[in-house]
Amino acid sequence: MTTTSPRNGVRARGLVRTYGTRRALDGVDLDLGPGVTGLLGRNGAGKTTLLRCLATDLEATDGELSVLGRDPERAAERTEIRRRLGYLPQNPSFYPHFTTFGLLDYMAVLKERGGRRERHDEVRRALRRVDLYDRRHTRLRRLSGGMRQRLGLAAALLGDPHLLLLDEPTIGLDPEQRIRFRDLVSELAVHSTVLLSTHQIEDVAALCRRVLVLDQGRVIFDGTPAALIARARGRVWEQGTRPPRNVTSWRLADGRHRVLVPEGVHNPDSDERVPVEPSLEDAYLLLTGAVPR
Amino acid sequence: MSWHLTHDQLHRYATHTADDVTAMSAEAHLTHCSHCRDRLPTDEAWLERSWADLRDIVDRPRPSPLERLLTALGLREHTATLLAATPTLYRAWLAATVIVLAATLALAHEIPRGTLLFACTAPVVPLVGVALAYGRGVDPAHSLASVTPWAGPRLLLLRTCAVLAPALTLCTIAALLMPAVTTVHETVFWLLPALAMVAGCLALGRWMHLSMAGGVIGGGWLLLLTVCTLLDGTDPLQVFSPLAQAGWATALALLAAVIALRVRTA
Ligand SMILES: Nc1ncnc2c1ncn2[C@@H]1O[C@H](COP(=O)(O)OP(=O)(O)OP(=O)(O)O)[C@@H](O)[C@H]1O
Ligand SMILES: [Mg+2]
Ligand SMILES: [Zn+2]
Repeated sequence: MTTTSPRNGVRARGLVRTYGTRRALDGVDLDLGPGVTGLLGRNGAGKTTLLRCLATDLEATDGELSVLGRDPERAAERTEIRRRLGYLPQNPSFYPHFTTFGLLDYMAVLKERGGRRERHDEVRRALRRVDLYDRRHTRLRRLSGGMRQRLGLAAALLGDPHLLLLDEPTIGLDPEQRIRFRDLVSELAVHSTVLLSTHQIEDVAALCRRVLVLDQGRVIFDGTPAALIARARGRVWEQGTRPPRNVTSWRLADGRHRVLVPEGVHNPDSDERVPVEPSLEDAYLLLTGAVPR
Repeated sequence: MSWHLTHDQLHRYATHTADDVTAMSAEAHLTHCSHCRDRLPTDEAWLERSWADLRDIVDRPRPSPLERLLTALGLREHTATLLAATPTLYRAWLAATVIVLAATLALAHEIPRGTLLFACTAPVVPLVGVALAYGRGVDPAHSLASVTPWAGPRLLLLRTCAVLAPALTLCTIAALLMPAVTTVHETVFWLLPALAMVAGCLALGRWMHLSMAGGVIGGGWLLLLTVCTLLDGTDPLQVFSPLAQAGWATALALLAAVIALRVRTA
């Protein structure tokens, strides 16, 4: 491999991953550095596959990849990457008979974290960070879904990783915990590289300086949230009548319709239609050409 | 008391920088004077360390009985923690092993040539345990563990040891309890095939899921026994003959070399 990334970043060139004949990643180019980057894309777009490749969980079929300045295909360098990596898989699962403390302690041992006392202190810190310290003796089968998700996050945070890969981290979090999560991730992102996949566009709007949109294994947008919104300006309307079928629209609470008009599509003038400022979600839907109703 | 230690004297006494005579007289004074004792500076770092130790003792969860047993056996604390997190099927495998071995024992004492069943099952006991020890599907926390520095051959070999220790012990006990066991060969005839098959499973694990590898090797074992039974005049126990044992030993040595090479370069 000729590609090298900075010591705290990621670089991919023409990254391909196939499952049988299906190309889940189809030539992804990527440069990541410190800060939070959001990864968007519809179901099956390849988000999890990309994160697993970066996390050294899957081998790329083709292309060049360098993570934290190292080559994940070489065993020794892969282990070096893993020492400074935090990965929260989509739908993580655990040993149900473990306590939250026990699970994090186990993960900390797997991550080669120091002697017993230092390790235990680190586990306590991680539990406090995700607000589970009061639950440290609770068995995992007794945790709620959101708490389990937070525990997965705590496991990813062990060892102060330089690269944090989070696959749908905010799923199942209540609003209070979601705010806490944003705060935590923003703080970590000052020094580390964070890539998080999500379907929660508000999280991207609140957290990310940069957005990547994947579609069928390709990057179809890479830029700031503001740049994505700018693309949608002049294409979002609210009107009283339903638009033609080939245009994405939905009925609002007041009975009017919000209409997203893609480039090159004609939306017949209706008297009382008014242009509105697009949201990040509007822009994302326009970009991915969401299927009309 | 009419006089008290100066701040400077107290400080030098507390930090062990006073000369012997001064230290002795300061100590003599301190044993009588509570006022100066209270002024004695405390060692913040020392306090913090002791407090952290105490907190950890009070606050850490009690190690599980298994972890305590393993540390009592002399394993390091973090190894015990790693071994206590066994895949879901480990306990089921251990229970099944005890039941199956007990059944073969009972049978061996009941019917003629009953030891045949033991001979066929004992070599696969460790194989089954290892096949269920590592990987997606058998380890609930695999997705979390698989991208840690410990993941891969290191964790797999550790768990293999966790399988081999009870498996070999239980099989040896069962062999010793078989009717009319007199020679060493009658006690450990199953050992080399068992180890060779485990090594085969680990080596195949390079290319396929470990449980699949276990299935392939187990299938091969069944096939071997069937062929030996069907071949005219061949006893299935031929697979334990001295010549066959030499073959198992060779296979084990080769496979162990393959695995060692893989661990070195993996
Ligand atoms: N283990 C697998 N075996 C075969 N195909 C797979 C496997 N994992 C994913 N795929 C396929 O690869 C493509 C990308 O899947 P991926 O899980 O990366 O999508 P995603 O963007 O994470 O979707 P979601 O939003 O639903 O999580 C999909 O078409 C999926 O069917
Ligand atoms: Mg996914
Ligand atoms: Zn005094």
